[in-house]
Amino acid sequence: MRYKSRRSKLFIVALLFLFPLLGLSQVPERVPKPDFETDYIRPDFLTPTPRATALEYIDIGVLIVALFLATYFAHKQRSRQNIFLLMVFSLAYFGFYRKGCICPIGAIQNVTYALFNPAYAIPVFVIVFFVLPLVLALFYGRTFCAAVCPLGAIQDAVVLKPTNVPGGLAAVLSVLPYLYLGLAVLLAATGAGFIICQYDPFIGFFRFGADFNMVIFGLSMLLLGTVVARPYCRFLCPYGVLLNWMSRLSKRHVGITPDECNNCRLCEESCPFGAIKKPDEAAPPANREAEVKKLAFIIVLLPIVVFGSGWIGSRLEIPLSRLHANVSLAEEILLENSGQRTELTDETKAFRASGKPTEELFAEASAIQRQFKVGGWILGGFIGLILCLKLINLFMRRRQSEYYVDKGTCLSCGRCFSYCPYEQVRLGIITPKEAEKMGSKEVKIKQFRA
Amino acid sequence: MIDKTSKKPLKRRDFIRKSLHAVAGLTIGGLAGILFSKSSSEEMVWQLDPNICIQCEKCSVNCVLPHSAVKCVHSYSVCGYCDLCSGYLQPGTKVRDTGAESQLCPSGALKRTYVEDPYFEYTIDEKLCVGCGKCVKGCNSFGNGSLYLQTRHDRCLNCNQCSIARRCPSQAWNRVPASRSYILKGDEKKKFLKS
Amino acid sequence: MAKQAEDNRRKNRAKLWYNIAKRIAIVAAVLAGILSVLMIVNYLQTKSVDPMNSKAIAQLMTQLQENPSDTALKEQIRALDLLARKAYFIYQWQIRTGSYLLFAFVLILLLALKYMSSLQPRLPDLSKSPEPDEARENKFISRKYILFGGLGLFILAFILGIISQTDLKNIGIVKTKGGQGAAVFPSIEEIRNNWPGFRGPEGIGVAYHTDVPPEWDGPSGQNILWKTPIPHPGYNSPIIWAKRIFLSGADRRTQIVYCVDADSGEILWQKELNDIPGSPERRPNVTEDTGYAAPTMTTDGQRIFVLFATGDIACLDFEGNRIWAKNLGMPDNHYGHGSSLITYRDLVIIQFDQNTGGRLLALKTLTGDLAYDQPRDVEISWASPILVNTGSRTELILNSNPFVMSHDPQTGQELWRVRCMQGEIGPSPAYAAGMVYVVNDYARLAAIRLGETPDVVWEYIDDLSEVSSPLATNDLVIMAASYGAVTCFDKKTGERLWIQDFSEGFYSSPVLVGDSVYLMDVSGVIYVFKAEREFRLISQHELGERAVTIPAFMHNRIYIRGEKNLFCIGD
Repeated sequence: MRYKSRRSKLFIVALLFLFPLLGLSQVPERVPKPDFETDYIRPDFLTPTPRATALEYIDIGVLIVALFLATYFAHKQRSRQNIFLLMVFSLAYFGFYRKGCICPIGAIQNVTYALFNPAYAIPVFVIVFFVLPLVLALFYGRTFCAAVCPLGAIQDAVVLKPTNVPGGLAAVLSVLPYLYLGLAVLLAATGAGFIICQYDPFIGFFRFGADFNMVIFGLSMLLLGTVVARPYCRFLCPYGVLLNWMSRLSKRHVGITPDECNNCRLCEESCPFGAIKKPDEAAPPANREAEVKKLAFIIVLLPIVVFGSGWIGSRLEIPLSRLHANVSLAEEILLENSGQRTELTDETKAFRASGKPTEELFAEASAIQRQFKVGGWILGGFIGLILCLKLINLFMRRRQSEYYVDKGTCLSCGRCFSYCPYEQVRLGIITPKEAEKMGSKEVKIKQFRA
Repeated sequence: MIDKTSKKPLKRRDFIRKSLHAVAGLTIGGLAGILFSKSSSEEMVWQLDPNICIQCEKCSVNCVLPHSAVKCVHSYSVCGYCDLCSGYLQPGTKVRDTGAESQLCPSGALKRTYVEDPYFEYTIDEKLCVGCGKCVKGCNSFGNGSLYLQTRHDRCLNCNQCSIARRCPSQAWNRVPASRSYILKGDEKKKFLKS
Repeated sequence: MAKQAEDNRRKNRAKLWYNIAKRIAIVAAVLAGILSVLMIVNYLQTKSVDPMNSKAIAQLMTQLQENPSDTALKEQIRALDLLARKAYFIYQWQIRTGSYLLFAFVLILLLALKYMSSLQPRLPDLSKSPEPDEARENKFISRKYILFGGLGLFILAFILGIISQTDLKNIGIVKTKGGQGAAVFPSIEEIRNNWPGFRGPEGIGVAYHTDVPPEWDGPSGQNILWKTPIPHPGYNSPIIWAKRIFLSGADRRTQIVYCVDADSGEILWQKELNDIPGSPERRPNVTEDTGYAAPTMTTDGQRIFVLFATGDIACLDFEGNRIWAKNLGMPDNHYGHGSSLITYRDLVIIQFDQNTGGRLLALKTLTGDLAYDQPRDVEISWASPILVNTGSRTELILNSNPFVMSHDPQTGQELWRVRCMQGEIGPSPAYAAGMVYVVNDYARLAAIRLGETPDVVWEYIDDLSEVSSPLATNDLVIMAASYGAVTCFDKKTGERLWIQDFSEGFYSSPVLVGDSVYLMDVSGVIYVFKAEREFRLISQHELGERAVTIPAFMHNRIYIRGEKNLFCIGD
C-alpha cells in the first residue's frame, strides 16, 4: 500500500517533469465531471463586453467637431479664449474620459503595424484618428495641436513662465522627434512593440495610475513644461513631425496679424514655442562666396552622409533587435543551451513548455534581425537626410521683411493674436491711428489673453 | 541664397509648393486607401490565451490599473467540483477547511460552497481577485484546468499597447476582435462563440 | 480725472485678484506637496512589504506544516492574513483617493497660477533696438549645434553597434561547419570505419576493423600502448571517431565528458556538465552497479552526445564546446538509467523506458529539438536500441518487456511488435541476415524472423544472459551468461551447438572481429574463440583490471575501459 502511494506520487512528480517536454498546453481532464443528484444548476458564466463599437463612432464625431471648432476659433474668430476652452474640453474628453487612448500619436504605430503585418486588421476609427488631423494640417495648419490633442493640452495647461530655448539647442533638440518617429515606425513594423505608447509620459495621469517610473517621467515633463512650453510636443512628439510637414505646405495658415505687419515688434516674445520669426536680413551676408561654397559642399556630401548614416544604422541591428521579444528570448535560450546561464527565466520556461522547436525560434530571431538590418539602413539614412536638410535649410536666406510664423512649428494656439495692434483694431478696442503709434517705446496692450 | 528679385522664382516657388501640396495630399489619400482595405470596423481588444499562460503572476502587477483587469474565471463545465481542490487549498494542507491557512488564494477571492456529497462549488469574487493566477497554477497541475485567467473587459481600459502583454513571458497576449473578446474553455467557449 | 480714477480702481482690483490667486496657489501647492510625499512614502512602504506575498505568513505556514494541529498558529495566520488583505485593499483605496485628491489640488494650483501668469504679457524690451545680424548669428550657431549633435549621435550609434555582440549570428556557423545544415550525417561506410556507439557501428557488436594485435598482457604491460586513468566512474564504453576517444563519467555531484587522444592516451579535454537547464536538484538514487554514467555516448562524426542518469542530455562538438543541453525529465528508474544513445541520420535516439511513462525519444542532433516522442506501453528496461538495415528499410529495434518492437527511426512510427519477453531486461537485441535475437534471464532466447508478420521461429530457455547482449554472425548466435556459461546456437534452427563454462561471469558482450569472437569477462580477461560450430579457443589475455564495458576495435588496436583506466592495446 505504502509502495503504491509512493508510486502515485512519483507519477505526479514525473508528470510535472514531463509537462514541459511533452509540450502539452491543454490540461488533460484528470477528474471526471460530476453527475449531480440534487438539482444543482451551474452558475452563469459572465462575459462582460468591451466598450461598444458604436461609442468609437461618437469619438470620431467628437474629433471631427473638435477639429472643426479649433480651426474655426483660430482662423475665423481668432480667439485664444475659445481655443483654450476647447483645449480644456479635449483634455477632459480625450484625456481623462477616454484615458488618452487611442490618440493620433499612438496611431502611427497601428498604421505601420497594419502595413507590415497582414494579420492585423486595423480598426476604422484608428485610421480616421490618424488621417484627419494630417489632412486638416495640410489645409489649415496644426490646429489639432492647439486645441484637440490631449497630450498637448495637458502641457499647455501648465505653461506658466515660458522661457526661450536657445536657438542652437532648439535646433539640435528638433532632431529628436525624427529619431523617435523613425524608431517607433521601425519597432512597430517589426512587431517589437509600440514604444510611443510605452513611453507616453502623460497617459498615467489620464488613467490615474501608472508605473512609478513613468509617473516620475511624466511629472518631470510637466514641471519642465512650466518653463519650457510644451516640451513633449516640440522635442519628442513623432506625430508632430508629420503635422509639421503637412503644415508647411498648408494653404491657409493663421498669421499673427489679421491685416498687415508694421513691424511693431510687440509679438516678438509672445510665442512660447519660438515659432515667431523676426524679419530676415535684407542684405546678403558679407562672406557670401564662402557660404555658397559650404552649401555646395553639403549638397555634394549629402548622398555620402545618407549612405554612411544608413550603414551606421544597419550596425545597430543587434541592440535594436533585442527590443523584440523573440530575439531576446532566442538569445536567452542560446545562453542556457550553451551553459552560460543556469537559472531559467519565466520566458525561457514558457518557451520550453510550449514545445516549439528552438530551431524555429532561432530562424525567426534571425529573420527579425535581418529585418532590423534593413530597417536600420533606412532609419540611419533617414536621420542622415534630415540632418543634412536641416543644415541646408540654415543656409537658405528668406527675404522676409515682416514678422511671420514658422508654419511648421506654429501650433495655431492663438497666443500671439492679441499682441498685434491690428488685431486690437479688428476687435474695435483701439483705433487704427492708435495702432500705428504702438510699438514705439510707449507700450500699451489694452485687452490681453495669454 | 537665391537672390534674384524678379517675379519668376517666386512663381516657381509657388509651383513647387503647390505640387508638394498635391503630393502630400495624394500620399495621405493613398495611405488611407491602403489602410481602409486592411481595416475592420471592429475594435481590437487584448486578451490572453489560457492555453499558453504559464501563471507567472505578472498579470497582477503589470496592469496600468492599480487593481489588475485580469481576473481568474471559472469554467463550471470543466470543473470536477473536487473536494480536494488543488486550486483552492494550500499544497500540503491536510485539512479541507476554509481557514485562511488552508487557502491558496492570497486575497480570499476564491469561495468554496458545498453542493452535495462529495462535490464543492468554487466561485470567484472578482472584487477581491488580484489576478495572480496561483489558483490557476494549482488547478492546472492536478485538476482539470477549469480555473484560468482572462482580462475582464468591463475593467480593461484597452490600452493601445497593453502593458501586461508587453511583459508576458509566454507571449500569451494578443489583440482579438471585440466580438470574440474572450478565449474560453469548455461549454462556455461554445456558448460564447455561438452568441 | 475720472478716467484715471477708473484706471486706478481697475488696477487695484486686478492687484487684489492677483494676491488672492497667489494665496490660493500657495495653499494648493503645499497641500499637493504633502499629499505627494505621503503617496510616495506609501508606495515605497507597500513595495517593501507586499501584503499579497507576506513573508511573515509564509514563515508561519512552513511552521504549520511541521505541526499541522497547532490551533494557536492557525489563529495567528488567520489574523495576519486578514491584516494583510486589509492592508492591500486599503492601499488600493489610498492610491485611488490620493490621486483624485492630488489631481484636485494640482488643478486648483494650476488655475491660480494660470490666472496670475495671464495677467503678465510677454513683451519684448523695446528700448533695445533689434540687432540686425541676430538671425544670421542664430543660424550660424544652429548649424554648428546640428553638425556636432549629429556627429555625436552617429558616433554614439556606431559605438553601440560595435560593442553589441550576439551569439545568434554564430548559430549559422555551427550549422555550416562541415557542410549543409541539418543534412550533415555520416555515411554507413564512415560509421563502420569508426566506433561511434555502444557495441560499435549500428550497435550489433560487429567490428569492421579486423586487424587486431595477437598478444597482450595487462599485468606485464605487453602490447599495452598506453593506460590513462579516468577520474570519474562510469560503466559506459569508449566510443571512437577518427583519432578521438570519448567517454563519460559521473557521480552524485559531477557529470563529465572526457576526450582522449587515441595515439597518446592523453586527455585532450574534459567538460563538466552540471548546469543544464531543468536538471533535477535532487539527484536520482541509483544502484552501485549502474551508476550515474551508464549510457554509452554516441557521435555523428561532428558532434558527440551524452546522457546521464539525471536525464541530462548534452551535445558537444569535438573540441568540447557545448552546443546544446537539456533535461529529458528525471528518469523514474530504480537502478538508474542504462540505455545507450544511438544516432540515425540527423537524429539522436533514446530508448527512455521508465517505471511509468516510458518513451522513445528522438532529438535533432543540430539543436536538441524534439523530433518525435513515442509513448511506450512496455515495462522498464535497460537495453539499448540497435539500427539494422533489413534490405528494404532501416529499422530501430528495441528489446523490452513484454514486446520486442521495431520503429521507423526517422519518424518513430511503430513497424511491428512481438510479445516474447518478460522481466527486467538488460541485454540489447542482436541482428544478422533478417533475424533478430533477443534474450533475457528468466525469459528466453528468442529468434524472430523478419517479414510480413515477424514471429518467433525458435527459442531456448536455459543458460540465459542477464546483462550481456547476444551476438549473431552469419550462421551462429552466441550468448554469455552472467555466471560464466557461453552458449552457441545454429542461427536458423536454434540447435545448441556447444556450451562452454568459464570461471568468471560476463557483463560485457561478445564482439565479432573477422571470424573471431572477442568476449571479456568481469575480471578483464578477454577470450578469443573462433565463430565456428565447434568451440575453439584461440587465446586468452588478461587486462589486469575488472571491466564490464565493451572493447572498441579500431586501426589494429583495442580500447578497453576498465574500472579505473582506459587501456589501449596495440603493437
